[in-house]
Amino acid sequence: MIRAARGPSVTLPLRYLVAATLAFVAATAGVVWLAGDLAGHYYRPRVLALAHTVALGWITLTIMGASYQLVPVALEAPIWSERVARWQFVALMTGVVGLVAHFYLAHWPGLLWAAGLVGVGVALHLVNMTLTLARVTRWSFTARLVAGAQVGLALTLLFGILLAAARAGAFWPYGLAAVHAHFHLALLGWVAPMVVGVAARLYPMFLLAPEPEGWPGWLQLGGLGAGVPALVAGLLALPALVLPAALAVAGAAVGHVAWVLRFVRHRKRPALDWGLRFVLTGTAFLPVVAGLGLGFALGWLSGPGPAVAYAVLALGGWVSLTIAGMMLKIVPFLIWNRAYAPVAGRGAVPTLARLAWPAAEGASYALVTAGVLLFAGGAAAGGAVWIRLSGVLLVAGALAFAAALGRVLAHLVGAGPRRVAPLRVPGP
Amino acid sequence: MSGARSGEPVTADRIVEALREVLDPELGLSVVELGLIYGIEVVDGRVTVTMTLTAPGCPLHDAMLDWVRESVGRVPGVAEVEVRLTFDPPWTPERVALDRTP
Repeated sequence: MIRAARGPSVTLPLRYLVAATLAFVAATAGVVWLAGDLAGHYYRPRVLALAHTVALGWITLTIMGASYQLVPVALEAPIWSERVARWQFVALMTGVVGLVAHFYLAHWPGLLWAAGLVGVGVALHLVNMTLTLARVTRWSFTARLVAGAQVGLALTLLFGILLAAARAGAFWPYGLAAVHAHFHLALLGWVAPMVVGVAARLYPMFLLAPEPEGWPGWLQLGGLGAGVPALVAGLLALPALVLPAALAVAGAAVGHVAWVLRFVRHRKRPALDWGLRFVLTGTAFLPVVAGLGLGFALGWLSGPGPAVAYAVLALGGWVSLTIAGMMLKIVPFLIWNRAYAPVAGRGAVPTLARLAWPAAEGASYALVTAGVLLFAGGAAAGGAVWIRLSGVLLVAGALAFAAALGRVLAHLVGAGPRRVAPLRVPGP
Repeated sequence: MSGARSGEPVTADRIVEALREVLDPELGLSVVELGLIYGIEVVDGRVTVTMTLTAPGCPLHDAMLDWVRESVGRVPGVAEVEVRLTFDPPWTPERVALDRTP
């Protein structure tokens, strides 16, 4: 019998995903609280505190937690060490809380220490993923992008620590350009390859669609592989590279959207659940984000308002809706696998769909999507009132999302294998 | 569970009916509808099911094989169950069909 790669204990990804959900709720509350700051320039300590709550607390913890569940499936290789992943979580959580708090307080020496702790957590993740990738025997599209994402994560961390050190000691020569490079390394070097790479493997599985193939794959690999280093170099020192880099990244976005449209058109799964609606709506934000990025590269857009709108549509629209949708697929599966898989076939157990709370998921979908659009519009116009109103929608959406996940998590209590006697089955 | 107890011969059709109860929990489709069953062999109450999974790294790897083994094992007349897993040919969504016979 062929032995497949094993997933880790369900508690490993769950701790990341639960922490990420709390960060999501906190971040949306931050939009209400900091609406006045968000209507001004983004390079303010409290806005940066919010940005890191989103980027590290919500997005990175989700991706890392989901990685520990999805990478064994996507790469057909088990995680190298669950123990390292547990220590990583402790370092990351402590570091992220410290980083956000010190940004908020504008306490730079403390920020540097917290950045160091985040660095320890990220370094443990990089070690774990590198040694996991070393077990991969087939360098598929997904494997290449997951590997590339680890390089992007390492560079994002390096930039972040340098920026924190610069804040503490004021020796960094690049100023705001380094902040832009740090943001784009995180978005395009770390988050985008993970989302695009895992999507190529999992979206067809969820949608019952044919495996992706053809030119969109090369466009994504080439666009991100060439575009991201060129964009960072362009932002820091070689402005002539910015436009071709933006075109390359936009090409990658086109490739990704082309694949997702193909999955949707050729899917055999007739009904889309809320998780898939989140994911597909998130993908619809990507061409808008790519267009805005090109607008900045061409000089048609400038200033802090449009820049905040760009970041909101990228992190809140494309990334957040996508990872929220993936979480609505992953968490019920983890809980079902823990609570009901051992007794399935010996008695009535719910399907994954029965674990979900569609009303809360649908409310979250509508509120978060509307909130992101209103937030982006309010930021572009510099309107604190609109941003605060969008924050109210986002808080309500994040709470509905947390409630939906909480209801799934409740199945861990009171359901389980202990209630059902083991079945004796004849064997060969 | 033996042939002597039930008095009915075990047939591939009865095994298929039993396998229709084995659902993929995420998709809500049976292993038969998903086209995961590649073959069923019945010899003197000994049943061999050859099947695949949607992906080699499927997290339900062990559980799915257990469910198939248990479901087939409950068919009256079945004395032994062997589940053989193969990824050759690999599963593709083209294999999905409602009310299909493997």
